[in-house]
Amino acid sequence: MTETKPNYDDAIVKKFIFATVLWGAVGMLVGVIIALQLAWWPANLGLQWTSFGRLRPLHTNAVIFAFTGNALFAGIYYSMQRLMKTRLFNDTLSNLHFWGWQLIIVSAAVSLPLGLTEGKEYAELIWPIDIAIALVWVVFAINFFGTVAIRKVAHLYVSIWFYMSMVITITILHVTNSLTMPASLTKSYSIYPGITDALVQWWYGHNAVGFLLTTPILGLMYYFLPRASGKPVYSYRLSIIHFWALVFLYIWAGPHHLLYSALPDWAQTLGMVFSVMLIAPSWGGMLNGLLTLRGAWDRVRTDAMLKFFVVGITFYGMSTFEGPMMSIRAVNSLSHYTDWTIGHVHSGALGWVGMVTFGMLYYMTPRVWSRKLHSDGLATAHFWLATVGIVLYVVSMWVSGVTQGLMWRSITADGLLEYPNFVDTVTRLVPFYWIRLFGGLCYLTGVILMAYNFIKTASGPQVDAASLETAHV
Amino acid sequence: MSNKPGQILGHGAENDGIEEYDNPLPTWWLGLFYFTIAWGVFYGVNYHFVAKTSQAIQYDAEVAAAAAAAPKQAELPTVATPELAAAGKGIFEANCVACHGPEAKGVDAAGNKTAGPDLTDGQWIHGGTYADIQKTITVGVPDKGMITWGPILGAEKISQVAAFVHNSGGGQ
Repeated sequence: MTETKPNYDDAIVKKFIFATVLWGAVGMLVGVIIALQLAWWPANLGLQWTSFGRLRPLHTNAVIFAFTGNALFAGIYYSMQRLMKTRLFNDTLSNLHFWGWQLIIVSAAVSLPLGLTEGKEYAELIWPIDIAIALVWVVFAINFFGTVAIRKVAHLYVSIWFYMSMVITITILHVTNSLTMPASLTKSYSIYPGITDALVQWWYGHNAVGFLLTTPILGLMYYFLPRASGKPVYSYRLSIIHFWALVFLYIWAGPHHLLYSALPDWAQTLGMVFSVMLIAPSWGGMLNGLLTLRGAWDRVRTDAMLKFFVVGITFYGMSTFEGPMMSIRAVNSLSHYTDWTIGHVHSGALGWVGMVTFGMLYYMTPRVWSRKLHSDGLATAHFWLATVGIVLYVVSMWVSGVTQGLMWRSITADGLLEYPNFVDTVTRLVPFYWIRLFGGLCYLTGVILMAYNFIKTASGPQVDAASLETAHV
Repeated sequence: MSNKPGQILGHGAENDGIEEYDNPLPTWWLGLFYFTIAWGVFYGVNYHFVAKTSQAIQYDAEVAAAAAAAPKQAELPTVATPELAAAGKGIFEANCVACHGPEAKGVDAAGNKTAGPDLTDGQWIHGGTYADIQKTITVGVPDKGMITWGPILGAEKISQVAAFVHNSGGGQ
């Protein structure tokens, strides 16, 4: 294929893969613990550091920034070197990026259980850590654009466009939302007043979903799916159009988190209609993914790696339809503040981000270690555990969320709340919390199988790199 | 840009071997996209300028509807009839005995003084007429631990339990 094999930096990819699997297992374990706490309160242990309120942000930060973050860096560094036929811009920056990011994760894992927080969802970390994130992100950005600058090919593949949208937008989002006035080393006050603060927060929060959990994952899909399946991308035109539509529309949709709040009506309407307009651009990515597999479906039956991609892309299509529906005022008045939202987030996080990440890891790990995957059977077991886990999780939260929403709004003939005691609406949901816990346990077990599989792979006998390549048709 | 289905664009050599077709956008997909845009414009214009809906308007409408549905003051019973009192007995037993005792005498089954006073002795802190008792139950005496029962029981049940209390011995 290529004349001389460039000297790619796969050592940094290995480090990020290791961190992805490690933090993924930790983040999901904390998720399972807090799921248990909701079903069985004594699991709080009666200690402030292990209470739900402290561990929940630890779970979300670990899964979003530690698991997904490291996975993105692994996949981006692996694919961009190959798409640009050059080694990464600077090895020192690569390592600064890696160790800086791990240090941030450790500081989060210490500060959040101690109760140090800014109280903004997905942006809980205190201001010194926020500054560290900004610095490490800039290191990543320099390394990223430096690599783009020294590339050996003229054409920029569509994946690179998706990665760029992440690097640029996350910088702006993180810096803008984290602007605070420090009062001490661990305490600060947002510079935005009242509802402005809420709007900035959800502009950030929604676009963290958009530009950390969506666009870069799509970029990874556009690289790893055709590589893994050996099939050409279905439509170049569709990839360009849905990319620009997605990045243009996403940035406006944040106010749908603030429907029926003090936010002015016009801003709520804006957030709602831009969310609905996001259906087609999102589905463009799903279509391009699934249609790329035309002619490869027989391989999906036997290849666990492709199975992960198919289910991941399908969950992407499902949750990008569910999201716009939930942002419609009438639906949101039922779904908001209920477990339905939790189910929606997890169909995106476990279904889309998790499954595509696993597919990508099963592709990269044998290749960067130049070894055959230890066990295809374990990979298939991981796939089924993950799929069953997600379905149990999402369905139990749908039932729980709708039950909760209907009980809260239920009014008697006299015009009174039918369930004036909040605890009545909680005890009704406990069975679903057990089902959710079981689903989460299945998912975590799958990740542990994957970790074992990778450790055995890395310690297995080395094979010829060419034998690992997919035949292209 | 060529746009023929099934034709490879030929970027593969620069894309790490990944080839791309340049298939046209699926018609139904494009239709869905245009439809959501048109719907967005229609919804926004209709919501704000035609139907002139807003949170404040919805709130006012709901309050007005609730006020219209609520029993008028004049419709509330003014006399504590035995029928009302009989209907109120169960409500008293379900909600009031914890603080006023099973006999409404301000003592519990073991003979200890309860949090709330005796309601049968003719001594009234907040007035002993039927209307007074209805008002005390509806508004509550939060300072002394008597909660605001209005939103919990509703006017009809309050008229019944107030009749029961009024007719239990001390009413004026």
